[in-house]
Amino acid sequence: MRSFNGQQKQLLVLLTPATLFLSVFFLGPLLIMAVYSFLEPGLYGGVEWSFYPWSYGRVLGWADGFYEEFDIVYLEILLRSAGLALATVAVTLLLCYPVAFWISRMPSRWKSFCIFMIALPFFSSMIIRLYAWILILRDSGFANQILLSLGIIAEPLDLMYSGTAVILGMVYIFVPFMFLPVYSSVENLDPKLIKASQDLGATPFTTFRRVIFPMTLPGVIAGSILVFIPALGNFVVPSMLGGAKVVMIGNLVEQQFLASRNWPFGATLSMVMILFMLLVVSFYLLKVMKKQRAA
Amino acid sequence: MKSVNTAAAGNRWIKKTLALACLGVTCAGASVSAQADETLNLYNWGDYINPEVLERFTAETGIEVNLDTYSSNEEMLAKLQVGATGYDIVFPSVHMQDIMAQLGLLEKTGINQSPGFENIDTSHLLAESDPEGEYCLPYGWGSVGIVYNKTLVPELNSWKEFFALPDQGKKIVMLDDMREDIGLALLLDGNSVNSVDPDELKAAQQFLLDTKPKVSAFTYDSIPMVQSGDIAAAQWYVGAMIYVKEMPDTLAYVIPEEGATMYQENMCVLKTAPNKENAKRFLEFFLQPEISALNTVQQTNGSMNKAAIELLPDEIRNDENINPSEETKEKLQIFRELGTGTRLYDRVWTKFRTAS
Repeated sequence: MRSFNGQQKQLLVLLTPATLFLSVFFLGPLLIMAVYSFLEPGLYGGVEWSFYPWSYGRVLGWADGFYEEFDIVYLEILLRSAGLALATVAVTLLLCYPVAFWISRMPSRWKSFCIFMIALPFFSSMIIRLYAWILILRDSGFANQILLSLGIIAEPLDLMYSGTAVILGMVYIFVPFMFLPVYSSVENLDPKLIKASQDLGATPFTTFRRVIFPMTLPGVIAGSILVFIPALGNFVVPSMLGGAKVVMIGNLVEQQFLASRNWPFGATLSMVMILFMLLVVSFYLLKVMKKQRAA
Repeated sequence: MKSVNTAAAGNRWIKKTLALACLGVTCAGASVSAQADETLNLYNWGDYINPEVLERFTAETGIEVNLDTYSSNEEMLAKLQVGATGYDIVFPSVHMQDIMAQLGLLEKTGINQSPGFENIDTSHLLAESDPEGEYCLPYGWGSVGIVYNKTLVPELNSWKEFFALPDQGKKIVMLDDMREDIGLALLLDGNSVNSVDPDELKAAQQFLLDTKPKVSAFTYDSIPMVQSGDIAAAQWYVGAMIYVKEMPDTLAYVIPEEGATMYQENMCVLKTAPNKENAKRFLEFFLQPEISALNTVQQTNGSMNKAAIELLPDEIRNDENINPSEETKEKLQIFRELGTGTRLYDRVWTKFRTAS
């Protein structure tokens, strides 16, 4: 009994600082945000301490037009950001999945080198890397110069400030988040199981569908979530490479806190975004778990 | 900002996000550094003061100057609102000075009684809360016109020509700025850039929506793109003159004939300033014509110190864009605080940015 208590004490000592740190610096700001989203906006920024549910009404529909007006545009922006995040997940997955297999078959020296190369861009700031993409994509940029000098095109292509540039930039930024979890599950794949499946007469496609894919699914799920969540809030890429021609939920939140000086509405948008993200991710996880259980 | 350099746009994102994310932390830093005896803590836009001015001040007075920067009025206000202390002098735009006065953030300095204030052009005492200059010292001003690439566009004189460029296959960009873009649309309709009239704003919104497909991008980071010729012309600050002077054969800046928005920043002492005396000394130091001129030469923006203008080299004093004639000045409009009207602007801006 006494040793159990001792162990408990030890755990308490070890866990208290981390718990305190997380609750103060992680839950604290979240709580402030949640409270602010229900307060009245101050004229010059800040908040007035009175209950004000109309910011949510403005997004979700019960604003009566007296204090605030409901506008579907905010949900549209959220969905558009979600669409871009999903596209980023899809493209990074399509890229990383085969490459993970390829790298996992390499001699181990090369393996470490390739993984290092994929993680390498992390060492410099995202802004600097996006500037490099501007130099590549602009009309007089490297991409157009190479294509022109090879005679593949006669006129420079309009690459910069386009939807393509945005997807390219997003994929570039988020590839490592997808690659590392996918790779680790591919690396742990037991080749004997694939062999067994083939021996039992499964076609390559069936082997992939029934053996390989289900076994790498945890990596795919982890990667998808790791990409989806930060991609949903990302607005730097659409601004820098897309020329800010479409607004993302992240821009909108920034606009509310700064130019429009409506902190509660910015907080509301953040809360709605967090709830939306929780819904999407838990729905996805539930679905996948069901599938796994069925398999 | 008004001389937003090429790297500043990137900085802007970082700074804005950081400003919101860790307001408290940075401010704590400032309060600590303010403990030393002879210091002065400036909180200014990025690249908006000649470092030589600060060096000369330290050499003359022995007061050590710390400089911290922001990238928008709202960022600065937000930081002060959540309780940042330790800063002595801030550089708000005129409409932000009015807000700060309303919020009781500014200290009365009596700078208008100081020697040299008689050189200040009284038409630049623009703050409604401070018509006599008892609080703040006018610092710098300029216009928001068009910077263009001369090899692509030999001559450009008006917004009309600017918005016609895309029809000739030439690319244009505008600022990613709510007040500037809506203000420009209002101005081109012949309205005040501070209009809160719903019909006028509706017309401005329609103009922006019609124009949007022609504009390649909305960004602060236009100068390198105009330099390289990837963009033919951009709505930008008179701070572009720094680059025009470097590449006079490639770049040009113009205040369009329809007029333009203008900005002005004033130097204000905060009520919470820990070094009020040093702050006043700095304001008085800056009243000296040669110091003011030293700053203007490096910033290539407008000066409101008449004696300092006399000291400027001809190329700056006679530049119609940097030091415009009274006739041109009349076509420039400054932003005012909109109060609840900000809500209307927010709606117009969100609608405009969501449209595809």
